[in-house]
Amino acid sequence: MRVALTGTPGTGKTTVSELLDSDLDVVHVNALVEDEGLYSEVDEDRDSKVADMEAVREWLAGEDDVLVESHLAHLVDVDRVVVLRCAPDELETRLTERGESPRKAEENAESEALDVILSEAVRIHGESKVYEVDTTGRTPEDVAADVDAAIAGDREPSAGDVDFTDYL
Amino acid sequence: MADETKWGIAHIHASFNNTIMTVTDETGAETLAKSSGGSVVKQNRDEASPYAAMQMAEQLAENVLEQGIEKVHVRVRGPGGNLQRSPGPGAQAAIRAMARAGLEIGRIEDVTPIPHDGTRPPKNSGY
Ligand SMILES: Nc1ncnc2c1ncn2[C@@H]1O[C@H](COP(=O)(O)OP(=O)(O)O)[C@@H](O)[C@H]1O
Ligand SMILES: [Mg+2]
Repeated sequence: MRVALTGTPGTGKTTVSELLDSDLDVVHVNALVEDEGLYSEVDEDRDSKVADMEAVREWLAGEDDVLVESHLAHLVDVDRVVVLRCAPDELETRLTERGESPRKAEENAESEALDVILSEAVRIHGESKVYEVDTTGRTPEDVAADVDAAIAGDREPSAGDVDFTDYL
Repeated sequence: MADETKWGIAHIHASFNNTIMTVTDETGAETLAKSSGGSVVKQNRDEASPYAAMQMAEQLAENVLEQGIEKVHVRVRGPGGNLQRSPGPGAQAAIRAMARAGLEIGRIEDVTPIPHDGTRPPKNSGY
């Protein structure tokens, strides 16, 4: 089975991916894009490589038991998509404390408030494959338990349970 | 000068299950009118529908026309609701409703934020 662990930067994907019970091999797409040069151009404004998703998909072809971890993970073919969520204010604090610039923290917080990644995940994979997990005010261990439950099939699909538009 | 018509900016925020629209002055500093999906529909799940966007747009247009705003530039943020496939439909329904209500529409910009963390998706990667 292939599972995507996606969510706006700062929702805790990388942290949680290290706490899972699951046997799936974890692929960190951000590092993959960087290390294998799987990008088409550089967005100077955002200090970010524009991922070549076709190349990422090709790289992942034949990888059958993987957890794809990245805010790009819902853009590849997977059987289930876990979308981590976090209240935008808390997300902004987490990113700032991780050392990110205010501009980067803010654009990601606004993306989270507008459900950008959740909407894409649902649009691409359908509501029956999406598992939304709110991480606001919770420990990474707690969140990891929910992600494990989604992977194990002990949790129902869900989407749109949070509304962060108050932030806007 | 007194009767020269003024521009405003219509901001459309379209999230998965809500739509928020505000009209500000041309600088974006002063909010002249504001509406959210919850104020025009009863069911939570309809808050992001094109129908809600249209109702909100009509009310906002009437409101700001009374305040002397006759023309708006439009800024759309967000992927749009659970009932639509692209940033288009809800926002487009809203823009058409504003035009029908008598507002002249200027520039339309999509300023949806992009999640990024050293990498970012290409434009329209999800469609
Ligand atoms: N559940 C949580 N509660 C509070 N802080 C968290 C939580 N999960 C992660 N963090 C912190 O937030 C920051 C972002 O987490 P990270 O795992 O790097 O997120 P992502 O990989 O989604 O960008 C890190 O500094 C991390 O220590
Ligand atoms: Mg990460």
